[in-house]
Amino acid sequence: MTTAKNQTVARAPAAPATRSALASALLNRRLWLGVLGWTLALVIFFPIFWMIVTGFKTEAEAIADPSLIFSPTLENYAEVQSRAGYAKFALNSVVVAFGSTLLALLIAIPAAYSMAFLPTKRTKGTLLWMLSTKMLPPVGVLVPIYLLFRDTGLLDTRTGLVIVYTLMNLPIVVWMLYTFFKDMPKDILEAGRMDGAGTLQEVIYLLLPLTLPGIASTGLLAVILSWNEAFWSLNLTSSQAAPLTAYIASFSSPEGLFWAKLSAASTMAIAPILIFGWLTQKQMVRGLTFGAVK
Amino acid sequence: MSTSLSPARAARAPVKRSALGALTDWIPRLVLAPSVAVSLFFVYGFMIWTFVLSLTNSRMLPSYDFVGFAQYAQLMANDRWWVAATNLVVFGGLFVGICLVLGAGLAILLDQRIRQEGSLRTIYLYPMALSFIVTGVVWKWLLNPSLGLQAMVRGWGFEGFTFDWLVNPDMAVYTLVIAAVWQASGFVMALFLAGLRGIDDSIIKAAQLDGASLPRIYARVVMPCLRPVVFSAVMILSHIAIKSFDLVVALTGGGPGYASDLPATFMYTHAFTRAQIGLGSASAMLMLGGVLAILIPYLYSELRSRRHG
Repeated sequence: MTTAKNQTVARAPAAPATRSALASALLNRRLWLGVLGWTLALVIFFPIFWMIVTGFKTEAEAIADPSLIFSPTLENYAEVQSRAGYAKFALNSVVVAFGSTLLALLIAIPAAYSMAFLPTKRTKGTLLWMLSTKMLPPVGVLVPIYLLFRDTGLLDTRTGLVIVYTLMNLPIVVWMLYTFFKDMPKDILEAGRMDGAGTLQEVIYLLLPLTLPGIASTGLLAVILSWNEAFWSLNLTSSQAAPLTAYIASFSSPEGLFWAKLSAASTMAIAPILIFGWLTQKQMVRGLTFGAVK
Repeated sequence: MSTSLSPARAARAPVKRSALGALTDWIPRLVLAPSVAVSLFFVYGFMIWTFVLSLTNSRMLPSYDFVGFAQYAQLMANDRWWVAATNLVVFGGLFVGICLVLGAGLAILLDQRIRQEGSLRTIYLYPMALSFIVTGVVWKWLLNPSLGLQAMVRGWGFEGFTFDWLVNPDMAVYTLVIAAVWQASGFVMALFLAGLRGIDDSIIKAAQLDGASLPRIYARVVMPCLRPVVFSAVMILSHIAIKSFDLVVALTGGGPGYASDLPATFMYTHAFTRAQIGLGSASAMLMLGGVLAILIPYLYSELRSRRHG
């Protein structure tokens, strides 16, 4: 403690040296930090950038010396479609991601409503308990779900994948909707009730419109998570219902030499996320921390 | 369920005597039921099912001939299982540790009010929004000795440069660490940044007035305030590590050989491609045990802090 005090005394006269020197030192520091920040950003973004670039090269160029000088071609994109039927897998991804999200929202909105506005002393426990299922590794339920799907003919169907993704996302969706609903001022609902609105009207005309941004970002997160999911899609689908993740994974193992086509396919798979990146980042953080970071 | 009738509710109930009133009273529970039932049945119910299967000699088809803990004994004697389990410890430890350090570093950097912080934050976070499959593909390319970084550096004239971890059985598991760290450190950065922004500025001002240097302020004043952030980051990261499956499939395929297998891929290989459902189920149960060892303290502390604060 005394040494710290001494330091303070020793430093005190030096600190206000000259104002302009201090200001320029600060400016310099900010400049260097900015350079560091952007260098790191380049390093982090480089793998994505390189994949996008490779998608526009020919196969020969892709495995030749890495270079940025080449004539861009769209042949990979054309070939990925004509040879492998890319559109089918993309459609599967879209149907499954949006289907499971809608289904999850339909189940979760009433549940979150009841938790937020009609809480009992068990509500908190129920919520945490539902979230706990998210933390368990999916391999623990893989064999039973696989067997069940095989016996009911749901294996390699979009319906089956929609069901699994709905189950997978339900706890997070309920939790996020709950945090959004709880933030809503209660007076508005009270006022609605005074005016004679029933529960259903209250939900449809007051709650849903007012929390639409929250519902939208919850839905967005669920779509992203389903879009990116690969554990279930790899295990439960083969050729018919495979979404893009399963398609890319299958592409990469036996035909590892087609780097340009693989890059093109991957680029298309991440394009929606890259484009909406600025939109999605907040939902990712909020959802993955279970609403802790807003 | 009937025990959950709180006194307030019980007092309110007689007021609404109509059938509709009774229905309204039950609606909260009715609408909650599907979500709860689904988690109860599909998660915990199926885990019990997996446990039952792990006690049988099921091979390609489930059978219910119980063999006690024979599958677990077989697992313990299985060299490949130990490789996978060791890999998970190595991968998980390095992944969590490096992500925390890098994430905290990036957050502190962005906290210096540098320009265009918003765009930088978005770029740092980009990898987290990608599928692990895509991450695996990208890094498989970059780490491929004859195509990626090694070829690039050699092309610049450093002929002796070698970076062949992807095809080196001793090092393959570290390629998983590289790819996973790339994906998740931006996310940890976001966690830390939110934590940093939540710290009262006056504490830092006070420390500055006392003449503390910036690194010292971060080490002694700021970081201790961020303990809850570190805690939740560790929880989320270890849960990502334990669930890792798609990254292995896309990046190394568990190879070379089975050098970079993780328990999840081990389980998949044995249950499905090698038709040993019993053994696969046993390995899944052991993984569950590992997760519970992390989850229970987490939920416990979470519940406790809620109650206190």
